[in-house]
Amino acid sequence: MFTKGFPQNKNITHSAMLWLIVVQIVVTLPLMFYLPFLLVLVLIFSTVWRIRMIQGRLSQPNNVIKVVMAGLGFAALASSGLPTASLDMMASLLLLGFAYKALEAFQQRDGVVVILTGYILVAVQFLYSQTMLAALYGIFSLTALTSAMIAIQHTKSIAIKPNLKLATAMLLTCLPLMITLFLFAPRFSPLWSFSLPNNHAKTGITNRITPGDIANLSQSDELAFRVTFAGEHPPQNKLYWRGLVLNHFDGSTWTQFPDELLPESIPFRLYVNKHDLLSHLTRKGYAQQYEIIYEKSAQPWLFALSPVVNIEGDATYSSDFGIIAKQNLFEPLLLKLTSLPKALREAELPHSVRKLALQLPKTGNKKSQALANRLLQTTSSQQDYIQQVLNLFKEEDYYYTLHPPKLEHENSIDGFLIDSKKGFCAHYAGSFVYMMRLAGIPARVIAGYQGGEWNEKGSYLAVHQYDAHAWTEVWLKDQGWVRLDPTAMVAPERVEKNLQAAVKGEGSFLEKHMLSSAKYQWLSGLRKQLDASQYKWRKLVLGYNENTQSSLIKQLFGEISALKAALISLTIFTIIVVFWLIFLGLTKRRQHEAKEHQLYRLFCKLLEKRGITRQPSQSPTEFSQLAATQLPNLATEINRFSELYTTLCYDPDAKSKTPTYIDDLKQVIKSIRRKK
Amino acid sequence: MNTLLQEIKTSLNELNQVILGKEQQVHLALTCVLANGHLLIEDLPGMGKTTLAHALATVLGLDYNRVQFTSDLLPADIIGSSVFDPKSASFSFHKGPIFSSVLLADELNRATPKAQSALLEAMEEGQVSVDGQTHPLPSPFFVIATQNPQSQSGTFPLPESQLDRFMIRISLGYPNQAVERQILQGNKGRAVLDQVANILNPESLLKIQRLVPQVKVTDTLLDYVQRLIAQTRENDLCHLGLSPRGAIALIQSAKCWALLQGRGHVLPEDVQAVFVAVVGHRIVGKKETQGDQLARHVLQSVDTIGEGIGGSTGAGIRA
Repeated sequence: MFTKGFPQNKNITHSAMLWLIVVQIVVTLPLMFYLPFLLVLVLIFSTVWRIRMIQGRLSQPNNVIKVVMAGLGFAALASSGLPTASLDMMASLLLLGFAYKALEAFQQRDGVVVILTGYILVAVQFLYSQTMLAALYGIFSLTALTSAMIAIQHTKSIAIKPNLKLATAMLLTCLPLMITLFLFAPRFSPLWSFSLPNNHAKTGITNRITPGDIANLSQSDELAFRVTFAGEHPPQNKLYWRGLVLNHFDGSTWTQFPDELLPESIPFRLYVNKHDLLSHLTRKGYAQQYEIIYEKSAQPWLFALSPVVNIEGDATYSSDFGIIAKQNLFEPLLLKLTSLPKALREAELPHSVRKLALQLPKTGNKKSQALANRLLQTTSSQQDYIQQVLNLFKEEDYYYTLHPPKLEHENSIDGFLIDSKKGFCAHYAGSFVYMMRLAGIPARVIAGYQGGEWNEKGSYLAVHQYDAHAWTEVWLKDQGWVRLDPTAMVAPERVEKNLQAAVKGEGSFLEKHMLSSAKYQWLSGLRKQLDASQYKWRKLVLGYNENTQSSLIKQLFGEISALKAALISLTIFTIIVVFWLIFLGLTKRRQHEAKEHQLYRLFCKLLEKRGITRQPSQSPTEFSQLAATQLPNLATEINRFSELYTTLCYDPDAKSKTPTYIDDLKQVIKSIRRKK
Repeated sequence: MNTLLQEIKTSLNELNQVILGKEQQVHLALTCVLANGHLLIEDLPGMGKTTLAHALATVLGLDYNRVQFTSDLLPADIIGSSVFDPKSASFSFHKGPIFSSVLLADELNRATPKAQSALLEAMEEGQVSVDGQTHPLPSPFFVIATQNPQSQSGTFPLPESQLDRFMIRISLGYPNQAVERQILQGNKGRAVLDQVANILNPESLLKIQRLVPQVKVTDTLLDYVQRLIAQTRENDLCHLGLSPRGAIALIQSAKCWALLQGRGHVLPEDVQAVFVAVVGHRIVGKKETQGDQLARHVLQSVDTIGEGIGGSTGAGIRA
């Protein structure tokens, strides 16, 4: 007979203990990378204690030790400086509880609590990392947890292999339901939101650039975004992923606007509706369609081929022909974009924009000013002047380097342009714009990414942080804003190929990353293969949202009505349930025992309610003797029932002698019931 | 039939006068004889093994021979040998002690495997062959062997295949205090061995033995027995399960037990009563688990009632 709930004092077997240890390690391991260091110590301590305890070298911690340990855990959390209502804090608390519960798990129900908490921790892990690797690890953890759950239900130690096999079978059984829920369960936006772990977000280009910033950024091999193009992918030197427009120069730093504006308010100021944007644009040339998945950056800035004329996804147009996310990117974002690379931008330059694009710091850089004046006197037109400045970069001794010398704050332009002549893209872009503005030509620095790495296997372009670049836009009458890249004058390879080719002589590409696979050509096949599968994961699994869901449903079932949806979901779930029934062998008709055995089991149940439980090994006679002495008022019925049953079961002549045995048995059951 | 049952009851009483406080074992011993099986009594020296064997032979009214097994015992010492007779100038066969209805093989495991196997062959075949001549053994014929626990020094443990030929193995164990007092007072137990009467004779014994197959067994009971057998084979602690020969012995002894109770059909209690004695020496447990222990464990874990033969279907085994 089965007993309800957990039997009291049912201890965990040795093998289940070992499983619990495995689970404890497997589940806490990935979270250790994200949570406070002190907590990690607590976890290690609890695991080690547990292992020693199983070995029999340490006893179970007593209450004093438990209180001290809980105190230490809380102290570790308090000293970690995590905000109280943050995901990190909640995850840490859960983890702490998990570790302590695991330490004192000796009975089955404690073990079950530990394992169920483990399942939740696996889910928590996905809040921190959603990569394919994390998902694979998650499946691994689930298998371990399920195996532990199986082990804990056994009263005897069992072997590892059949246990794992059963756990895998159980998880595989759940797979159809998982896929169905993933594909078809309605996806709602969250009802409440919680501050996500933003301290782990990666930073890319920000809205303040001093010339050295991009050089630093180029030391990172983190992925910025991936692009797939509809049709042919454009040539490398046309791939200018325009991000921020930097108008304001204070002598050393380029920012979008003068410092009076709060940086947080800038994105909102840039928002513009599509209609207004298009009114400043003259359509020309071909339309480029593409799809971008941005990695998280903790910034709202998005990078695209300018000007963007159509957005599908969670982003909005900005007044300077770029796009901006509606909130900071704490998770990957997928957008479908259409750009018109040849369109004419702002044939009429608004006054406010012109004012911004001609702004100059009031002091400093006297040598550059002298140079500009000299050039202005020798040139006749704006075009001529621009050409002269570009020629300057080409013909004189300028170097493209990732190690530019430090520049004096006040006269940073002079320091680069006249004195050192060694710089990175931001130096060239900055000084070029400075020179333009001195001549009264509206100009601005553009920060973004240039180029990218084409992945043949996944047919997409991967743009990394080391592709970060700065170039310029100048405004010319009848041509609107025109893109000019002074870096291309000095280091054409940077634009035609990539950064690695441009700084080959210097050998400074990713020099701080000794082991970065991006540096090694022979690894690039493997790296691209891995990256391609990551991309598929991003796109197909993580990028599966309301829109893709509804288009998939439309594709599969056509236009959907409420009735149709109900019918379809009913069908799918029926199929799954039928599959389960067949798989678990529940469709086989359960063999019913003969009537007398059913009645006997009923008889046992009735007596059990009165506190007398039959041991399986007790024979009917033995049991009835025991029951009759303990329940004297039922003794007659018990003996009568047992006698009838025994005769019926074991005396071969009984059935023919008395055909009414079953009725007699029922009669006795009735009278037992009547006697309360 | 009633007179036969009465005779059995009397024999039991008689035996219980000699072996005090061991009703269960005495019952099992008699069961074994009625089932026409060989009996193995295993215990420490001085526990009354030989006394029981002796009394049993007397009560059954059979002629018996006793062989004390030692390490230098030869097969010919048991079976007999051909001796040259100068008068007739030919070899004639001199029957050994095995030619009796009851052979008391005392301390069987002190003998070398060679001598043991000579006996065990006779036990199985019911005949002996010497010099190409076959000599049938008397009927009924059975062996009551005693042996010391294997941990005792100077023993040759019987292999599993030979242990399997003993239908029932019992051990007597220490008497309880009240019984011990009676033994010490000296007017019961071994002291009255020579007063034991012949209750049965070969004819009545054969009659009783013929009654055994008439004891009835229902499907429900066979379900239970098969569940037990399946458990000995599938239990995690079990290394060697019960053989079909062992299974037959189990049913046989259960029937005899029922007969001794004066019943015409077998109940689960009968099976339970003989189970450990029949099965304990035939199954081998994993690691250090003893056969008896394992048999008790199997008995505990199998549901007595219900249908289904258990095993891998698990229908009859409930947690």
